[in-house]
Amino acid sequence: MAAIESERTTVVNGAAMAAFLAGGIGALAMGLFVILNEAGLYSAPALYDPAGGVTGRTAFATATWLIAWVVLHNRWKRRQIESGRVWPTTLALIALGILLTFPPVWTLL
Amino acid sequence: MDLLFSGRSIWTMVHGIVLGGAALMGLAAALFSLRAMRPATDRGVVDESQAQLLAWLMVGVAVMLWLTVIVGTYVTFPPYRATPPEGLTDLSAYPRSLLRANPQTAWLHSVAMETKEHVPWVAAMLATAAAFIGMRYRSRMLGDAMLRRVTATLVAISFALVAAVALLGVFINKVAPLE
Repeated sequence: MAAIESERTTVVNGAAMAAFLAGGIGALAMGLFVILNEAGLYSAPALYDPAGGVTGRTAFATATWLIAWVVLHNRWKRRQIESGRVWPTTLALIALGILLTFPPVWTLL
Repeated sequence: MDLLFSGRSIWTMVHGIVLGGAALMGLAAALFSLRAMRPATDRGVVDESQAQLLAWLMVGVAVMLWLTVIVGTYVTFPPYRATPPEGLTDLSAYPRSLLRANPQTAWLHSVAMETKEHVPWVAAMLATAAAFIGMRYRSRMLGDAMLRRVTATLVAISFALVAAVALLGVFINKVAPLE
């Protein structure tokens, strides 16, 4: 059996933390593109007319997520990142992003 | 000869059951595995080949989720939101208009479908991040408590989001199926 003993030494976690935080940024980007559209402040152009504006919002949010991930990955991949701040920040970003995509929230505008 | 299912109906099934269903099952399996495969102690043994299988499972889930959202947005959503001709009274071929025509079902568009348009994309992003961590760290992901916790969180949130929107999809399809 190819097995390894889990090491007591710290695993460099930068790449994982970059992926984690980028996920939060992607979620927030989705929420922002949606809420800006609902508020009439910015509408991402439709990339495919039969499907409408959702194609622009999702494509732009996905692009934001990928850019954030690439930037964070390049900065953190060889570093040990303190999870104490990344953890709550990411969870808050995800929660806020999801909240902003929830239609009943739009009625508060 | 009439076909039992229309092309639109088949694409809806591919979107919701084949791709989305596979992703949901994969997420559940990954979540269970992350819990079951963790070493019992700090110096516990992690099987590299099992960690590799789990990593590939998460890659498969991410691929399924991306296919689900792409098919959902670009293939099944356009006929759902199509505008019926002026004066048409039978709206059964126009699900969005059918839902909005009845105050009791209007929420299925204004809340359920509007949520389904965006939230699954976030689930796909989070599942992709989990798959990346699994592939990059393999057995170290299972052996390191923080990495395992991060991965499990991404998978758990993704699972919750996909399960919620899948349920909304069932509600919509029960009332206004894309036939």
